[in-house]
Amino acid sequence: MISRSLDDHMPSSSTAPHPLQRNLAPHLHPFQKPREYTRAMTAVKMDRMFAKPFVDALGGHQDGVYCLGKDPRRVAVVAGGGGDGEVIVHSLALRRPLLKIPNAHKGMVGGICWTSESQDGKRGMVTCGKLDGTVKIWRSEAFAPGLRDKEVFTGSEFASGSGSASTEVLDTAGAIGEGGFEFDEEEGGGLSLDSSKRDALGSKLEPTMTYTSKNGFNSIDHHRTESVFATASNTVQVWDENRSAPLSTLAFGSSMETVAAVRFNQSETSVLASVGNDRTMCLYDVRTGKAERRIVMQFKSNALSWCPTLPTVMLLASEDHNLYTFDIRNLNSPNQIYKGHVGGVMGCDWSPTGEEFVSGSYDRTIRLWNRETGKSRDVYHTKRMQRVFDVTYTPTADFVLSASDDGNVRIWKSNASKKLGPVSTKERQAMEHRQKLIERYSTEKGVRSVKERRHVPQSIHNATKLKREMIESRKVKDDRRRSHTRAGREKPKAERKKTVIVEQK
Amino acid sequence: MDALLASAGPLPNKRSNKGKNRSAWTRPTGPTSHQTITRADGSQIDPSLNSILPSTRLPSSFHSSNLATGSSSAPFKPDAGLGRIGDKKLRSKLARQDVGAKKAKQEREDVDEWLNKAVSGGKGGIEVDEEEGERTWRVRQKDIVDSVGVGVSGKKFDLKLEDMGTYRVDYTRNGRHLAIASSKGHIATFDWQAGKLHSEIQLRESVRDIKFLQSENFFAVAQKKYVFIYDQDGVELHKLKQHIDPIHMEYLPYHYLLTTVGHAGYLKYHDVSTGVMLTQIPSHLGSPHSMAQNPHSAIIHLGHSNGTMTLWSPNMTTPHVKLLAHRGPVNGIAVDPSEGSAGRYVATSGMDGVVKIWDGRMWGKEVRSWKVRNQITTLGYSGMGMLSVGGKSGVTIYRDLQSNTHRTPTPYLTLPLPSLTASATKFCPFDDLLCVGHERGISSLLVPGAGEPNFDSAEADVYETYSRRREREVRGVLEKIRPELITLDTDFLGHVNEGRGGETFEEREARSFRQLGRLERLRATGKADESDQGGLADDDDDDDEDKEDDTPEVRKQKEKRRMKGKGGATSRYLRKKAKKNIVDESLLAMKAKVAAQKQQEEKRRKIASGQIVQETGALARFQ
Repeated sequence: MISRSLDDHMPSSSTAPHPLQRNLAPHLHPFQKPREYTRAMTAVKMDRMFAKPFVDALGGHQDGVYCLGKDPRRVAVVAGGGGDGEVIVHSLALRRPLLKIPNAHKGMVGGICWTSESQDGKRGMVTCGKLDGTVKIWRSEAFAPGLRDKEVFTGSEFASGSGSASTEVLDTAGAIGEGGFEFDEEEGGGLSLDSSKRDALGSKLEPTMTYTSKNGFNSIDHHRTESVFATASNTVQVWDENRSAPLSTLAFGSSMETVAAVRFNQSETSVLASVGNDRTMCLYDVRTGKAERRIVMQFKSNALSWCPTLPTVMLLASEDHNLYTFDIRNLNSPNQIYKGHVGGVMGCDWSPTGEEFVSGSYDRTIRLWNRETGKSRDVYHTKRMQRVFDVTYTPTADFVLSASDDGNVRIWKSNASKKLGPVSTKERQAMEHRQKLIERYSTEKGVRSVKERRHVPQSIHNATKLKREMIESRKVKDDRRRSHTRAGREKPKAERKKTVIVEQK
Repeated sequence: MDALLASAGPLPNKRSNKGKNRSAWTRPTGPTSHQTITRADGSQIDPSLNSILPSTRLPSSFHSSNLATGSSSAPFKPDAGLGRIGDKKLRSKLARQDVGAKKAKQEREDVDEWLNKAVSGGKGGIEVDEEEGERTWRVRQKDIVDSVGVGVSGKKFDLKLEDMGTYRVDYTRNGRHLAIASSKGHIATFDWQAGKLHSEIQLRESVRDIKFLQSENFFAVAQKKYVFIYDQDGVELHKLKQHIDPIHMEYLPYHYLLTTVGHAGYLKYHDVSTGVMLTQIPSHLGSPHSMAQNPHSAIIHLGHSNGTMTLWSPNMTTPHVKLLAHRGPVNGIAVDPSEGSAGRYVATSGMDGVVKIWDGRMWGKEVRSWKVRNQITTLGYSGMGMLSVGGKSGVTIYRDLQSNTHRTPTPYLTLPLPSLTASATKFCPFDDLLCVGHERGISSLLVPGAGEPNFDSAEADVYETYSRRREREVRGVLEKIRPELITLDTDFLGHVNEGRGGETFEEREARSFRQLGRLERLRATGKADESDQGGLADDDDDDDEDKEDDTPEVRKQKEKRRMKGKGGATSRYLRKKAKKNIVDESLLAMKAKVAAQKQQEEKRRKIASGQIVQETGALARFQ
């Protein structure tokens, strides 16, 4: 006979929790699937309910922002280059400019990057002009508030083996730079809360180095550890920070195409890749000083980015609305095609984990992608955001930044429904459970439709529809044509095989 | 560049035998930090793997082989069928899921084995020495009461309520509270363990059924004209005027649906969380004699006066199943909720004095049937699968009904009620009790081994407190299952829906290859993998076979096969054997037989086509 003792089933004291007895046998848990499905439905609806990706817009630019340069050593410092040659260094933590350099260049700013070290407690920012053909290195305490000149050192502050003192400085620098307010205002003018003082400081700032060339620079990227940077004009040039003439000029054969973007590989740091206006993507090795190989594609690419965790994987943002990942060991065809934009893709950037990336397009939207799926995970847009010209992930992967035509740098959450601020263990577990449920039932129609449905502006909605129809009808036509030709005459070609026209060595 | 290529390792290339580029792809000089180091004995060390292992590995005490149970010493391997999937990402994902499901199942079984088993072994219940002529059905209630402890013997009680008519009873889902209703209008609800009366009403009109709703706070009463809902204090909350002349009620706890059926034979579903009538379905079979719900699928069973039983869900206006169960009105239906059945076995009883057990997977014929001497009025199943058959002058209880199905079962217990007829029998959930309603009140009787001993507090907590009940009610409404999900096949969610409905044949035919669905495309190219229909993570039931032969394609294929002579029993047997890769004597013999048959067939064909001339006459015998 069943005889239960009340002592086993009542709380031991008035504050103790109610004791639970579990029996996981399935016959005591009927309707497991429907109940779990209902929970998944609730979870996915909550996920969409909490999806508020927009965090803030950082203004201050007189013209559109056409390039972004995040400081890879700081979590919350990003520089935006305007169409009028103005460069503004923004602090994401404070949500205001650290420094404005009004006339950094004459005409448009082509690209911004950061040096690999700091000198005398001053972080270095490298900018290049699209029209005036100059590269300038700017150094100021304001770029990295808190990097003090107590310890005088030169060379690479961040590279390993430079001594324990430097790492200490790095740590305090990061900490103070984030908070910002405990900073002594008299000494470090950069963090001055008074904007007029700050502006005066910025307008007085002179570049520590200037490099000139006949041609304008479209893009710039700094070597990860050494004091070397590469620029893109009608050739790819590699410069040493301490020399006014380029170390080497790289070109594939005798081609004189306009190079749109250039990037150093982040793991194998002497490898360099560029995309050009002749629809090409070219790989170089700095040590040999030669172009290694090149592919010609159907459309030109606007930007490229190397995966930070997979050294052989690169991402191209193409003018044909798609993004492509390539494994450089096999350049015949892309690993994956990412479709979704309805305008040329202007910028792309990997998340620090290399699992996801962000892209910004001429169609005024930003899309977030998983590396393994060809469909975008999320799409961001606002009424006021115009053509997006550059996007970047922050080094913490929490946020995504976009630079657009309307003169704002916008901060978005990289996960639209993620809660900002502290999360208790219980809450985190609940959220993880909900995510798992969504993942499990995401193939089911009800859950999937809620999960994948995104509201996009009318124009994009219509453009998507039109594009889909056009492609569909073209493919159907191909299919019909094929079925009326002699068997085997025309074989269907996979989409991925069509992308690369020729690979040159 | 070369260093980068080298450090990334070679690409898993299909055409790896091309030796031309080898020199360019590997660098002979010293290894980088990513490269595998070959030891002298031939084994290899992957430095990057070894650098992360200490931080990612489980402590060895957590390894399944070192667990106390030891049952899971063999590592879990994903289903072998997964190897056929070409897509690497999908394959690894499914393999991971499969291993996870297997692991969870193993853990659940371990818990079941080590924690939930009865201490004495077996299923519990009365044990007697059969060989010495002792029989369990000779054990009387008095004997049981004498031999059990004081705490348990108190659970046997009688409420003597004379001249109130016949009583109907209902327990809450946790078995804690009891509601009784007499046919003459006496209604009471109480916590029977504490002996605390919640409410008692004299309605002064005929009452036909009573049911608790989501908790002991609310109960519905089928009265003379309408259904009424009362709260714990006996205050009338709602009058459900749409339910006219109700005779039977069922409450579906996970769907928040109150189901009633009246004299007119209309089955009505009422959502009690929103107060909206969901649907009403005419059964067209007159006033039903009995009603039951399947607690595992929320299908409503109705027993009719012409001997048929029908199975209903709110999504269809016709019954899912309609079967002729008895040669007379079906007056008792009960669905087995126990572990071995989980809603598959259904017991019915008829005025013809026969009890039948049905298997929900195959309604064609009853699993077993037997005749009972007294007139049966009501049936009930307990949490451990005991069947109570209530009728004139007593209740008989059976157990182990799934074994020895060819014989008439011997009763487990008999509970005589002299000169009384049991009008309702209900086993108390999670307790060894049977509550019987009759003309003189109710009797709570002890039935050892009837109740499920291990309850789950997350589902139905026997010791539910006020705050936990509140929590459960809120959660329950949040997780209310949509009525559309009530189906006969409880496992349909998450399966592939093959049909692309809403199209005419012409439209389907006019679509080019490009516009076909994925499955259709795979079929057209002959790549569709149709051998395994069920999901991998699902339990390994063998009832998947009868699912697939409804689609026209499959039917077509079958016909085709039959024409070619491939559908025979022999070849099916051979195929099955070959699949399992078992070669034994019977297989060899069968193969030889098939070969001989083939030869003969060939010869006959050649003769028919005139390739060889069959000898007739005297020489024919020498062929």
